[in-house]
Amino acid sequence: MSEDSQIFVIKTTANQERSVATALARVSKKEKLDIRAILAPDELKGYVLVEAPKSGIVELAIQTIPHARALVKGSSSIAEIEHFLKPKPTVTGIKEGAIIEVTSGPFKGEKARVKRVDEGHEEITVELFDAVVPIPITIRGDTVRILKKDNE
Amino acid sequence: MAEKVCRHCMRVLEGQTCVICGTSDLAEEWSGLVIILDAERSEIAKKLGVDIPDKFALKVR
Ligand SMILES: [Zn+2]
Repeated sequence: MSEDSQIFVIKTTANQERSVATALARVSKKEKLDIRAILAPDELKGYVLVEAPKSGIVELAIQTIPHARALVKGSSSIAEIEHFLKPKPTVTGIKEGAIIEVTSGPFKGEKARVKRVDEGHEEITVELFDAVVPIPITIRGDTVRILKKDNE
Repeated sequence: MAEKVCRHCMRVLEGQTCVICGTSDLAEEWSGLVIILDAERSEIAKKLGVDIPDKFALKVR
């Protein structure tokens, strides 16, 4: 039987999560270290998760990797990080009737009311407040900021 | 070169086709990176249903 996996956390320079993950995979293969998986979720800025049986292996592996700053003390179980494996659609949390501000694209800065939410395509249909005629427009769910959850 | 992701198996790859699936249905916009090194012993690989070590995305658009 092999030893049980644990999850260790590496602190990285911001925006270098993927380069650290890739470099760590390369070192692990070259040195034949028992690192089983490496995870760099986009929601987790400045950290990379490593699945291995012992912290010492990870500690050793990161010594020569640029932008891998430190190994965080302690470990987590797989259950604790499992939610990172199923990222939520960007429209989650946006409800019909919510008031949003468009944060990029041609309508940047405009405020609008949400008419429809399309989870599958991660799009929302909104009506701009400042439009002379309220024409519904469809935009990406990650290009808005919620101002008011609904019209309570 | 920009890496793309196979919409079928979620592999991160370079080039125009996924050699595993034989498809060119690739996503240019993706997020979350997982590298599976030991598919047999990795719990993460089990959760994701991965049995061949490779680089994978967690989400595509
Ligand atoms: Zn594929």
